Amino acid sequence: MLRLPLVRATGLSSSRLGAVGLHTTGSKSQASQELVEVFIDDKPVQVPPGTTVLQAAAKAGVEIPRFCYHERLAVAGNCRMCLVEIEKQIKPVAACAMPVMKGWRVKTNSDLTRKAREGVMEFLLVNHPLDCPICDQGGECDLQDQSMAFGNDRSRFTDIEFSGKRAVEDKDIGPLIKTVMTRCIHCTRCIRFASEVAGLDDLGTTGRGNDMQVGTYVEKMFLSELSGNVIDLCPVGALTNKPYAFVARPWENRRTDSIDVLDAVGSNIVVSSRTGEVLRILPRVNEDVNEEWLSDKSRFACDGLKRQRIITPMIKIAGKLQSVAWEDALVTAAKALQTVAGNEGAVIAGKLADAEALIALKDLFNKLGSEVLATEQGFPKDGSGIDLRSSYLLNNTIAGIEEADVVLLIGTNPRYEAPLVNTRLRKGYLHGEQTIALIGPNIDLSYEYENLGDSIDIITKLKNGSHPFSATLKNAKKPLIILGAEQLTRKDGAKIVSETQALANTLGNNVQASEDWKVLNVLHTNASQVAALDLGYGSTIEDVKQQQPKVLFLLGADDANIKKEDFPNTFIIYLGSHGDQGATIADVVLAGAAYTEKTGSYVNTEGRAQQTGAALTPPGMARPDWKVIRALSEIAGHRLPYDNITEVRSRLEEVAPHIVRYGDVEPANFFAQAHELAKQTGGSFLPDPVDIKQKTLDQFFMTDVISRASPTMAKCVQAAIKQRQTEL
Amino acid sequence: MGSRILLRQCVKELRNNNKQWIERAIATNAQCNTNKLVDINKALEVPEAEQESTEKFLNPMEFDRQQQLKKYIAVSSQENIPIVTGIPEEHIKTRRVRIYQPPKNAMQSGTNNIHNWQIDYDTRERWENPLMGWTSSGDPLSNLKVEFATKEEAIAHCIKMQYEYEIQKPNRSQPKPRSYGENFSWNKRTRVSTK
Repeated sequence: MLRLPLVRATGLSSSRLGAVGLHTTGSKSQASQELVEVFIDDKPVQVPPGTTVLQAAAKAGVEIPRFCYHERLAVAGNCRMCLVEIEKQIKPVAACAMPVMKGWRVKTNSDLTRKAREGVMEFLLVNHPLDCPICDQGGECDLQDQSMAFGNDRSRFTDIEFSGKRAVEDKDIGPLIKTVMTRCIHCTRCIRFASEVAGLDDLGTTGRGNDMQVGTYVEKMFLSELSGNVIDLCPVGALTNKPYAFVARPWENRRTDSIDVLDAVGSNIVVSSRTGEVLRILPRVNEDVNEEWLSDKSRFACDGLKRQRIITPMIKIAGKLQSVAWEDALVTAAKALQTVAGNEGAVIAGKLADAEALIALKDLFNKLGSEVLATEQGFPKDGSGIDLRSSYLLNNTIAGIEEADVVLLIGTNPRYEAPLVNTRLRKGYLHGEQTIALIGPNIDLSYEYENLGDSIDIITKLKNGSHPFSATLKNAKKPLIILGAEQLTRKDGAKIVSETQALANTLGNNVQASEDWKVLNVLHTNASQVAALDLGYGSTIEDVKQQQPKVLFLLGADDANIKKEDFPNTFIIYLGSHGDQGATIADVVLAGAAYTEKTGSYVNTEGRAQQTGAALTPPGMARPDWKVIRALSEIAGHRLPYDNITEVRSRLEEVAPHIVRYGDVEPANFFAQAHELAKQTGGSFLPDPVDIKQKTLDQFFMTDVISRASPTMAKCVQAAIKQRQTEL
Repeated sequence: MGSRILLRQCVKELRNNNKQWIERAIATNAQCNTNKLVDINKALEVPEAEQESTEKFLNPMEFDRQQQLKKYIAVSSQENIPIVTGIPEEHIKTRRVRIYQPPKNAMQSGTNNIHNWQIDYDTRERWENPLMGWTSSGDPLSNLKVEFATKEEAIAHCIKMQYEYEIQKPNRSQPKPRSYGENFSWNKRTRVSTK
């Protein structure tokens, strides 16, 4: 508050800025290197050689203005906004590209520097339209802010000929990004993002000087699973959010920090909402999870939160679902639950279920005497099953993927199953010269990889060393195996797990990598999966089908595999946010909350517990899921012993303490033991080839109830199909 | 009396035969003429009346109170501030406070506004107001974000206000530095393909 400027002046903030600017990988060579001393505004800073002036300044707590420079992209050095004066040099220097020399005295606020910035600003504004009042970037525009801070206070631009400013035709690059190319200042951030991170060389520049344009060369849509990030990257309003166009100003929005649940990565997000609606979703920096990016599904599917919502509880009367009061729905559901004796009840937990609801439901059904708790995506029970967490986690963490030198993907398409895991792989591929191989069908991963074939017994061949690729794997210093969770639902899933564990074990023994390097990794696609497995949801849909329960509780389970025909005599209760597959087959529908409307705990694929923040209140009569279950339990006569979220979380802590340690990864271990247990797994591989559900972009956009309800996602699917057809 | 004070002021100089002082004394005070200078020492020897302390005449309770005021006021660390502030108990006991460092706005590159710590409160129910369609809330703390320079200050505030709080881990951000030369290297995959 009042004391803040003082603390900043004393240099407290400079140390924090330092953490932003400089990277020390901890490698011994870099640590032993001598540091170079430079002076930023007469303040001495020690930096490793090769550091740019801009980074050194950041370490000293001085932020140099920039447009084209972005920490996570290649250095372009073309906007010239970061020009600074260096003592005893005639010309100002572009701070973003210039490595520091010993003893340099950088002046970031001298007359020359300020004049240089003013000049650059003037040139940019001569070619930039004055349409801030109708620009969607207004209020969060770098050009606006920097022209206020560093620009001149008067203009020399007088259009005496009335010839107008430079104007560029807008481009149609898809249903997600709106372009106003006249506003473009040619920073080329979008081009660099597309070619480096998204792996798509679609964007580029044509022409020179005043005629330079950013575009797609030929008329084409910029369709990628990460395309939305260019909206964030664009420092002006040239690329803006199309569904959000003319909807709101940033200062009108309420921002809520939250977690994305549409894939198992658990990307950190900021939910922007106003008047009871989620207007847009932005990424929030988390170096360990999503860096600064967000996948298009997570970003744009938010309009699905307003459609197909279950806003009242419903009961099936005469074959039709009718809206009823909570009391009636709960009493009907409770009556059905009261008939359950022993193992006659079952639960299937869906993709988006939070840990609070999972534990409440587990407690309720355990009280009824049932132990058949299934997840939509089953995990084989053989071997150690779900008893050892190492068998089902992405053990080496998402950030750790970058460091691997050889990666083997088994039956997974990380590009569409977890786009932000794929960016790590691509980063490793570009900067770490990573070798990547895949067992599975031929797919486009946005980087080059070796396809080892789509037969599942290649795993065994790799283990035995009879496959040509096994030499590469054996010589790897940091090998990594990423197994797609989808493969585990195959009939021979248990065998796949045990063979992969055996392969990982041989590689792990072979390479003698450091203790915390973990070879075996499982990549999940469902946000609720790891928390559900942690809490003991060990059954599969097949188990539930075999058991033919009297009462089946679907906790947001909308999988196409759950059909009414399989449960002819079962009373089905559905609790969820959207009317989809699950609600249509249910006898009682209870209205639950979506992830933006509740504070829920989720564990991502690497085992990191995170919590969502409630941005809105659930619509209509809907309530947070665990509250509904708690109410139901009381009416059914098995009162659950918690009344508020803190008490639910202390119950969670009793069962699985790591779920409430938010932000932390709880590492798993006992790989050798899991392998020993897995040895007992019998059976053999099935002859079916390894298949992946999401092979092309159109299969990426709609995977869960929220994205299926989203009109934007529907447009994306259409656009992706259209683009593919024109390319053929 | 005025002469006495003046006399005391200049006595040192007078004793040292400081003529300047003497002249000044003559100029400013008519009563003090050179003739009387000889009596100066005498005058100084006249004892002043002993000053009585007013405390003697106070009643003992008031005296004690004044003595207490001279000391520091010790407050127990468990002082119940929320009661004094008048905040309804509902907004003390049932609130969950999050202590966090604000995230960088993904849309912009500036970072000067995120080097502090903030607290915010759990979300309470909001509804659409039927009159204008704007959002209403019954929660007086829903728009409150308090900024602190350090995490410790934020924690101290929460303890003082007896809030239940949780600390969100600050974000560690250290992207790998890039060099301009990487764009043009022949043998690396970092070579720029599109411009």
